[in-house]
Formats: sequence, structure tokens, C-alpha cells
Amino acid sequence: MALSPATSGLTSTDGASRATPRRSVRGRRWKSLPFYAFISPWLIGTILLTAFPLIYAFGVSLTNWDGISPRFRFLGLENYTAVFSSPETWSSLGRTFLLAGIVVPVTIVGGLLLAIALNQKVRFRTGFRLLVYLPAIIPPVAATLAWKILFDRDNGGFNAFLRLFGIPAVDWLSQGIVFWVLVALLLWGIGAGVLINLAALQDVPIELREAARLDGANSFGVFWHVTLPAISPVLLFQVITTTIAVLQTFIPVLLLSPATAASSVTAVPEENQVFMISVYAQYFAYQRYGYASAMLWIFFALILLLTFVFFKFSGRVVFYAVDPSAQEGRR
Amino acid sequence: MTTTLDPPAVEAAVAPLEPRRPLKRSQGRRMKDAREKHPFVFWGLMLFSIFLFVPVVWLLVTSLKSLDQLGDSSVWFPIPPHPENYADATSIRPFWLYAGNSLFLATVSGALTTLTSALVGYGFARLPGRGKRPLFAVLIALMMMPPIITLIPTYLLFARVGLVGTYWPWVLWGLSGAPYLIFLFRQFFASLPRELEEAARLDGCSHFRIWWQIFLPLSKPILVTAFVLSFNGVWGDFVAPTLLLDSDRMTLAQAVATQFVNAAGFPINNLIAAAAILYVIPVVVLFFVAQRAYVSGFAGSGLKG
Repeated sequence: MALSPATSGLTSTDGASRATPRRSVRGRRWKSLPFYAFISPWLIGTILLTAFPLIYAFGVSLTNWDGISPRFRFLGLENYTAVFSSPETWSSLGRTFLLAGIVVPVTIVGGLLLAIALNQKVRFRTGFRLLVYLPAIIPPVAATLAWKILFDRDNGGFNAFLRLFGIPAVDWLSQGIVFWVLVALLLWGIGAGVLINLAALQDVPIELREAARLDGANSFGVFWHVTLPAISPVLLFQVITTTIAVLQTFIPVLLLSPATAASSVTAVPEENQVFMISVYAQYFAYQRYGYASAMLWIFFALILLLTFVFFKFSGRVVFYAVDPSAQEGRR
Repeated sequence: MTTTLDPPAVEAAVAPLEPRRPLKRSQGRRMKDAREKHPFVFWGLMLFSIFLFVPVVWLLVTSLKSLDQLGDSSVWFPIPPHPENYADATSIRPFWLYAGNSLFLATVSGALTTLTSALVGYGFARLPGRGKRPLFAVLIALMMMPPIITLIPTYLLFARVGLVGTYWPWVLWGLSGAPYLIFLFRQFFASLPRELEEAARLDGCSHFRIWWQIFLPLSKPILVTAFVLSFNGVWGDFVAPTLLLDSDRMTLAQAVATQFVNAAGFPINNLIAAAAILYVIPVVVLFFVAQRAYVSGFAGSGLKG
């Protein structure tokens, strides 16, 4: 592969390798050079493609730019107060957190229960494992379309099933019920966590469980006092990643909308207007770039805060706390 | 690439499907045990499987229906089935052109992302440096970063510099690596013994050569895993190509979601179902092909660090 950052790594490390063995003052100063050469692609990429866009969005959020015209006005924090005082903000935030409030606990608890079940000696265990996992690897576009067709009013399997009981066709994808179709669709990927849980369950030292059992603990006691604490870092990681993933739900909502041709953000039923849909609509349907950028920043700050709270709350259970090479570097 | 990896899916894809300590009892004995010990668990799982199975089964069934059978809700399974839907789905729209676009984008992006992530991961695992700890913390924080938040302003910037409508954004994303994959490589490289590069260093080998000739060949399972993950990420992405590509470079994900409509703009569900299945097949195949690599790749490196 012709990787330009790789070749730059080559030249700079050569310079450093000559300096290191001497261990002079000058050598120590250049000791960090190979490290920075190696991480430079990521470092530069992060500055240009993550930090800079965020700063740019912040700049835009202070203006009334419409995305097209070269003229715009500086508004200060006006957009932010406008976002906070808009009822639409609160309703879409409320919906987004309701979605997370349902999907995240069910995914975590359900995923754990499934993993425990799949850790037992049951028939077709490997088959079940593959099956549970399958929906998790299906790309969101295909998964959403599968559910959309299943709940289609005229072509859908669910209405066909209900017809057997004489229940007339229901329009599942319209206002009111579509939120629950979305919930079901998001829960379909529950298998994503199951396999990590399985790996974690198998890592719990068997001696610990046996010791607890000798001390008179029953199965539930062993689970509660030994297994659960042992796998808690894995669960915490899942809580964080699942929460963030659900909060930014976008594609499933967009493609579940009954809009026919090119799915349009404005056709999303009110019930399903989660926060990122509102942001996207403000940008690309209403051309309110300044206002939309303010929404984006508020959302970014909210997720940052949430992640921080999760980590603080968890205290010790951080799965990558140990960084042996960093300690060696200090020696 | 950072814009397309979904952490839970990524986490799942790297976890081994099979237990690491297989039971040493014979198959027959195990089955008998199971029947005696956990009938409720078994039937519970069977029940739950319906929930997992039904959308896929209905997609398959729908893909085999004619338009008449599609409209008749008393038809559960189409008799006769209409496999020609698959031919239609690939011919009424330039399906293979879209598939080619997706394949090209996902392959290039996957290869670049994998190599860069391995390079950066080596830096974090094996090279001393001032400020490494805070930078590693930044990396971890970026793993949690919702990609869609940076995507929209990135699009605005790319539009300004004329990169919209080109593949350059994916090249640039690929060249900056993906935080999760960097973390994965870092964990793996950090687990290898020091002696590995010490002799090479004494012989005057550069860090880059050590990485390229010693560490990369050892990390084949992680390379495969990282490539499959980033390939699937780009193959499955919808938002970035919608914002950044024009219609003649449309990816298959976009095409499946938007192109199969009739003259009145209504979705043609049997063709959508057929196209969706064709679209999913490479992802599923790739996953199961790489399955063995995942298991060997993660048996030692420790998913949880």
C-alpha cells in the first residue's frame, strides 16, 4: 500500500534510531519522535477531521448562516437560547431519551440473560448463538427495510398474521405505533452484546464460583456476588456504547418513514422525530445552518457529559485502565 | 472511517462465537444432559428465535412473490415462487454499478483504515513518548464519539474545498485510522514480548521495519478482523454517501433504500426484498469466512484489556 504517513514514519524513525542508543540529553529530547511519527496519521486526521469540523460547527452556530448565501450575521449565543426555548427541542430530546430509556436496559439485561442461557448446556447451542448474532451484523439499511416490509400495511407479514384472527389491517408505520416498530427494530440487534457477555462469562474464574458455592451460596448468590461483579466492566462498556448508539439513531428512523421515493427527513412521523432527525432537518430541509449547528453542539455536550458521568459513576471498572507501555516510557 | 463504525456491532464482531474451553464430554452425552437439565431454557430460546427469524424469513418470502401475490395477504408462501425478482432487481437499475461502487469504496477504505490503525496502534503499544497518556485518553474518548455529530460539519467543510462528489473523504478517513481499531491493534501489540524487537533494534533496524516485518505478519488475525469491520462499516453506511456522493457514484446501500420505486414513487417491496438480500450476502459471507480469524485473534489478546 502506498501510504504516505507510513513513509514519513520511516524517515523520521531512522533519525531517531541513531539518537536513542547514545542516551545523551539530545537523544532524550528526540526520544518521543518515533512515537509521534507513528501516531501522526491519526493525530493529524483527528485534528483535521474531528476537532476542526467541531470548531467550525461552533463558529457556524454563532451565526444565522443559511448554508448558501455569502452573507450572514453574528448572533452570539442567540441560537443556543432559541434552541433551548423551542418546544420542538424538548419533545425530540424527550423522545430520544425515552427510546434510549427503553432500548438500553432491555438490551443490557436481555443480552445478559441470553448469554447466560447460551452458556448452559442446551440443544443446538451453536445454532442459537449464530442465530442470535445474525441480526447484529446485518447493515442498518437492510435491517430497517426488512422490518418495514414486515410491518407494511398491505404486504406485511404481521398484518397477514392478524388477519387469521379477523383483525383488520393496521397501518403500523404511521403516527402512533411506528415508535414501537422502531423499538422492536433496535432490539433486534440485541445479539451484539450477547457474544461479548458470553466471552466475559467464560472468563470468570471457576475457582471463585466454587469457593462461593462451598461457602453455601445458591446459584443466584453465586451469580450476584461473583459472576456479576466479574463481568461488570463489560456491562458498563456496553451501557455506554449502546446508549450513545441509540441516542444518535438516524438511519432506521429515516428509512422507516412512510415517505415513498427518496426518503425525506420531513416525512418522518412526529412520534419518531428523534434528535438527530431534527438536527438533519434543520440543516438540509430548512437551511438553518446556524441553528442546526447549535443543536449539534448541545447534543455533543450532552453526550460528552453522559459519558463522563458513566465513567465517574463506575469508578474502578474501566477495562483499559492499565497502560504498561506508558509506564515503561516513564522509567 | 471513523464515521461508520458502530461500537456495539464492532464489539460483537470481535467476540468469539464458540466457548474457549470446550466441554470434554461426548456429543451424545451433552445432548442428553441438555434435555434433562434445561428444557425451559431450550424452549425459551426457541421462542425468542421467532423474533429473530421472522423479519429475515418474511424478507425471503417477499423476495419470491409476484406483484399479485404481494398484494394478496392470504398468500403466505408464494406458489409458484418467483426467483426472477432477483434478475429484475439487478436489471431495472444499474445494480452492479452500485455494487461496484460500494465494493471499491469499502475495499480501499478498509485497507487504508486497517493499515493506518495498525501503524498508530504500534506507536501506542511499543514506542515511548511524552504526552502518550493524555493522547491515549483522547483516543478512548473518541471511541465513544458519535460519528454523525462530526459528519455533518465535515460535509460542510468538504463542500467548501470541493471534495463532495469524490472518494477523497474516504481516503482521508482511511488515512487517519479508526479509534476502535487502533485500540484493538494497540492491545494486541502490547501483549507481545519485548524480546521481539530488542534483537532487531540492536541490529539497527528502524521502528518502521520492525513494525512492517515483525509485528504486522504476527497480527494477521487482527488485520483480518479490522479489515472486515471497516469494510462492513463502509458497505453498511448510508448517511455519509448520501451527503458526500452524487448519484452516479451511489452506493448499493443507498440504491437499495431509495431506487426501487414505481412510477408513482411507491416502493416495490418484492424487488426491495430481493435487492436487500443480495446486498446483505457479502457482509454475512465475509463475517463467517473471517470468523476463525476472530477467534484466534482474540483468544490471547484479551478483549477487555
